[in-house]
Amino acid sequence: MSEPASRDVDDAPPGQSFDLHIAEVARLVEELGAAGRPTRVWHARGEADALLEKLPMRVGPGAHSGLILRKDVFAELGSPDAGSCPLLLWTRRSELIEDGRITLVGPGLQESEGASLPFGQVVMVGGEALDKGDQSALELKQFVANQIEGYMIRRAPGRLWSRVGREIAGKGFDFEALGAALIAIFKGELPKIRTMQVLFVTSGREDVERLGEIAEEASLIGAELAKEAWRAKGFDPAACSVSHDCGSCSEQQDCDDIREVVLLRRQAKRAAQSAKKAKRAEG
Amino acid sequence: MTTEEHRGIRSYKEDRERYAGFYALSQQSENPEIRVAGRLAKFVSEARDTILTAHEEGRPFVNNNYCTAPEITEAMDIPWLMLYEAPFMAVSVEGLSDQIDETGAMGLGTDLCTAIRSSIYYVEKDLVPVPSAVIGFIFPCDGMPMLHQVIKHSKTWGHIPMFCPDPPYFNDDRSIDYFANELKKMTAFLEKETGAKLDMDRLREVVEESDRQYLLWQEYNELRRAVPCPHGYGLGGPMCFAVSQMFKVGHKDGTEWFQNLVDLTEEKVEKGIGAVEKEKIRLFWFDIMPSGFIFEFMPWLEEEFGAVVVMDMFGNHPYTTIDTSDEQEIWRGLAKRGLFDTPMVRQAMGPAEGFVDDLVRIVKDYQIDVVVWPGHMGHKETQGTFGIMREACRELGVPFMDIRMDIFDRRYTTPDQIKDKFARFFAGIGVG
Repeated sequence: MSEPASRDVDDAPPGQSFDLHIAEVARLVEELGAAGRPTRVWHARGEADALLEKLPMRVGPGAHSGLILRKDVFAELGSPDAGSCPLLLWTRRSELIEDGRITLVGPGLQESEGASLPFGQVVMVGGEALDKGDQSALELKQFVANQIEGYMIRRAPGRLWSRVGREIAGKGFDFEALGAALIAIFKGELPKIRTMQVLFVTSGREDVERLGEIAEEASLIGAELAKEAWRAKGFDPAACSVSHDCGSCSEQQDCDDIREVVLLRRQAKRAAQSAKKAKRAEG
Repeated sequence: MTTEEHRGIRSYKEDRERYAGFYALSQQSENPEIRVAGRLAKFVSEARDTILTAHEEGRPFVNNNYCTAPEITEAMDIPWLMLYEAPFMAVSVEGLSDQIDETGAMGLGTDLCTAIRSSIYYVEKDLVPVPSAVIGFIFPCDGMPMLHQVIKHSKTWGHIPMFCPDPPYFNDDRSIDYFANELKKMTAFLEKETGAKLDMDRLREVVEESDRQYLLWQEYNELRRAVPCPHGYGLGGPMCFAVSQMFKVGHKDGTEWFQNLVDLTEEKVEKGIGAVEKEKIRLFWFDIMPSGFIFEFMPWLEEEFGAVVVMDMFGNHPYTTIDTSDEQEIWRGLAKRGLFDTPMVRQAMGPAEGFVDDLVRIVKDYQIDVVVWPGHMGHKETQGTFGIMREACRELGVPFMDIRMDIFDRRYTTPDQIKDKFARFFAGIGVG
């Protein structure tokens, strides 16, 4: 993976690219490896259809009911007690992403029967044609509802909490298969994606929380991009619906106050993020 | 004690007996689901009894709300009622339309949310016992502060000390900290007005029990993903809300109720039994259920079209458990729950993006065929978010049906008009 020259790429507005976060994730994986966490890497390259042929489970819309009963659970990933972090990063510089790479930091599924593992999942995709309009669709795709046989995503906003079924685990379902399935689903549904890699972290709550720090920072950009996409569709909640001149509007003072508050909040948020980052760099 | 106060107490006594009667009747059923549903009536009866006992013994009781940390009043062992529940509970008695008409005679505008108008009516007519202190609920809409202004001008409620936690608009970390601090102030107010003290260990216990309820609720909700859906409008969603946030907050018997519900539902899902014999259409009812005529309308939907309400606003489960290892996290967790997760508040306050995500996840997770946008007349914010939600549904390729109704008042858009709209809509999209 090559280092990005700067945070901003191509014509993305300042602060609206995830390139630095992609590099941060790579650094974190290196650090965790250096700290002795077991790390495994697989490769799932090729067309979506070809990837699916090798998997022990069916993948695609309706491949699963979206439901695994308590008694049929082989392992749980990312419960509130164990910790969880979903993260989706995309870039137009597809060379930043090593295509097909699936990395696992921590124990695998087959050796975790009955366990409730911490779960970090980072999906990174690259494609020159990707744009901010794809942000929401990409984020949503992380939560594959009923597309992977024997794998159920539970409903928990802001976290990725899932169940692996006993039956599919018996057929050899593991993180390599899950990663390959995700790659096939993303590439199959979004042809703009040229390169994609997936990282799973199950090594501990603390490790997942470190991923969470990167996710928190990235979420600011994600939220901004999603807002812009809505604006592009013609829905701007901040737009003024009073169609006359600001100078003669009785609401002008309120509008100005709100803008000022929003600006102050943004500045405070950015300052807090920078401080956090600086602290991490020192530590 | 004034005559009006007697009226509120009398009303609660009638409720206590009526709901105890519903419960007794339900337990005679051979259908375990009716027995589970019937236990909710027992919980209501017990809640009424708690207030009546406090009244008889001269102990304080307060008004609190589902979204202003009822876990705290439970942990402080202060009996509490929720004024705002009145219009929802009133649907089980006759004369709802007359009550609504009387709010007009009181001078309240018919464009004001019927739930708020009815709550005002209950205060003015003294149909609710007068509490010793009021925890206000001044969000998510403009109408709620108005209810509290009326309370402050009421002859019988006006003198009651009131504290209204101030809700920040945004849904970020800073807002959670702010509201957590408001809840601390609220606790200090309750301590001053009732003499009760908050023991943090007891609060931790209540929150942990409450978390167990939320986890079971999540388990139950996931069972509703099954095709066919094990339950329709008649069991589940709003009941889960009522047990966990109104009548059995952090109580073991509430947890046991959830456990029974999950056990029964798992059995049904394993056998592939649905709410209706032949499920054809899976609906997401994107608002409060039509309380005013639910028993007239929902069975019709199920019987006529095999259309089942798989998910609704109060049944939606965005809740997360609370980290009880740290005191500050308990406050923050309660703040988050009240401010971002509870129904109506989650949808009506703050930016719309969050709930678009909910909508999209619900449509995918529950394999929804049609999103129904009831557009309750009191939910003015739905006029603002309507276009965004419709657009999201277009992108998902799921039909979006807009009604515009009053969930309490059957005369606003009549059940017949709504039925006609559904029939034409289903025919139009080729499922009717």
